[in-house]
Amino acid sequence: MSLVQISGLKKYFDTVHAVDGVDLEIKQGEFLVILGPSGCGKTTLMRMIAGLEKPSAGQISIGGADVTALPPRKRGVSMVFQSYALYPHMNVFNNIAFPLRAQRREKKFDKRVIREKVEDTARLLEIDMLLDRRPRQLSGGQRQRVAIARAMVTQPAVLLLDEPLSNLDAKLRANARDELKDFQRSSDITAVFVTHDQIEAMGLGDRIVVMSEGKIQQVGTPQQIYDDPANEFVATFLGSPSMNIIASAHHKFGFRPEHFLPKTLNDNPENARIFHYFVKRVEYLGSDRLVYGYVQGHDSHLTLAKVPSNVRVSLDVETDYEFAVHYRDLKFFDQRSGARITRRNPAEAL
Amino acid sequence: MASLALPSFPLDNRRVVGILFLAPALIYILLLVGFPFLLAIAFGFSDVTVGNTDLSFVGLRNFEAVWENDIFRQVFATTIRFTLISQVFILLFANILAIIFTQEFTGKWFARFIFILPWATPVSLAMIGWLWMLDTKYSPIDYLLLQTGFLGPGGHLSNDRNLFWLASPDLAQISVIFVQVWRMTPLATVILMAGLSSIPTDILDQAEVDGSRFMRTLLMIKLPLILPIMVIALLFSMITMFGDMTVVYVLTRGGPVDYTRVLGLYSFQVGIEGGNLAQGAAISLFAFPLLLAMAIFMLRAASRAEVR
Repeated sequence: MSLVQISGLKKYFDTVHAVDGVDLEIKQGEFLVILGPSGCGKTTLMRMIAGLEKPSAGQISIGGADVTALPPRKRGVSMVFQSYALYPHMNVFNNIAFPLRAQRREKKFDKRVIREKVEDTARLLEIDMLLDRRPRQLSGGQRQRVAIARAMVTQPAVLLLDEPLSNLDAKLRANARDELKDFQRSSDITAVFVTHDQIEAMGLGDRIVVMSEGKIQQVGTPQQIYDDPANEFVATFLGSPSMNIIASAHHKFGFRPEHFLPKTLNDNPENARIFHYFVKRVEYLGSDRLVYGYVQGHDSHLTLAKVPSNVRVSLDVETDYEFAVHYRDLKFFDQRSGARITRRNPAEAL
Repeated sequence: MASLALPSFPLDNRRVVGILFLAPALIYILLLVGFPFLLAIAFGFSDVTVGNTDLSFVGLRNFEAVWENDIFRQVFATTIRFTLISQVFILLFANILAIIFTQEFTGKWFARFIFILPWATPVSLAMIGWLWMLDTKYSPIDYLLLQTGFLGPGGHLSNDRNLFWLASPDLAQISVIFVQVWRMTPLATVILMAGLSSIPTDILDQAEVDGSRFMRTLLMIKLPLILPIMVIALLFSMITMFGDMTVVYVLTRGGPVDYTRVLGLYSFQVGIEGGNLAQGAAISLFAFPLLLAMAIFMLRAASRAEVR
């Protein structure tokens, strides 16, 4: 059952179409990641779900009720900002208690209930020993937990997270990602997570919404998005290094660097497309070797190959090799629109 | 052999340039603040008058004489009373106006412009304007009250045709405080507006998502966050007001009797107009320790309240 339904949602700032016709359903209890480059409209979309931004057109309903015209407090949503937006003059307890106190009258919370709820939530996030501290006395990771506690304490229908991990250092981030995912799963809350970081998106999302230029490019599980991209944008946006795209006479085709391997490694050359590959440079990255070179006939762009280091093939620079891509790993795109084309027989298409 | 050193030009020397850049401020402070201040101290401990400019040290005699003077005590009390009462209203109005001016509405630019005018107008010029507004006979305020039946025979306020704004003890004090509030509110408003617009929008968005409405956001988020800036605004306007003599000098000359005589004016009247430079200096120096203590206390309070 879908908890949030978004249809025909648009947001124009003067002539800029920040969100340009979005239809999306968010399921109860799922972890949905909205992924896209900066300026793609993902934050604006989230702010419209929160009620902080008024849509220019379209409709949002949460739990079956149309909330398009409602202010944030009547939507049953809560939000964690990138900056955490902790109230700097309040201690942790008062920060977490703030949304409860703000909704005290509607929800009939008395002092005792507020104290219990704050303490329970704090215990859940393991910040119960920090309740007397001020935000500036907390580490980045602790601040993030306080922000999540404040967002969770009202038991919202939807938890909105706007790049909440980007202010943490790399080591802490991986840890926080795991915890966030565990926490979401155990509390069974519906989470919408905005990010531009594909690794975060792949790691966290039950489903990923890829956005670009105000439009949804593809919605799917991390695997669907990676293995079966809907168009050239999705194909090249995900994956690092990104997919090689080569233009041929009728269309473009692409393959990921990790699928582009020396022919000798391929046990069944019948099912693979062979390319003559001139190796220009090799970077040793520890687990992989990143190879830069030119595919014969397409030497206007560098083509990358990612060869696992444990494969004992010597790769010398300024040397010709034969590299192969399995036919199933070749993706075809329309030359003009970039839309994905399915080829029944990839061998003939080349 | 060619030298590798850059051609030596005085302005290439960091020390020279530093001193040059500092010079205008230093000269200003030394000449127009430091020197008069030291001179006032020297005068305060001497028997100098306009007629006899020899400085001979007399110890605390001037201060003792001033402190035992009943007029001085009354003036001192009046100054403190005027300052405190006007600050209450200045803070109240400045907060309200700053909140209004940081909202979005049509004509905001024009409204801001109008409200800044009292501050942008030269004090003496504005005071002459108020002198007319509060004139004993031709006050436009009285005229309006007369036309609306509040004044004149059978009027609700008085049977007289005039209220005598600057001639009756109560109204004169109220008028002076009102004009001070009118004059000082814009600066405090501007300072508070800067404070309000420095609150991160994330915090305000967060409060909105948390379900906070206007009053709660104002009282629990905005005002606590601008408290340090509010203290600074208060300090500015208190110090300006405490030392001011222009308003009463133009409007009332301290009258009726001594009801609106404040420290700055009294010091001027005794020291310059009365020619007793030593006592005038002593009077003005009474304000100094008080203002210094107040400034230190408020600045420390502000930095303690500073949370970011």
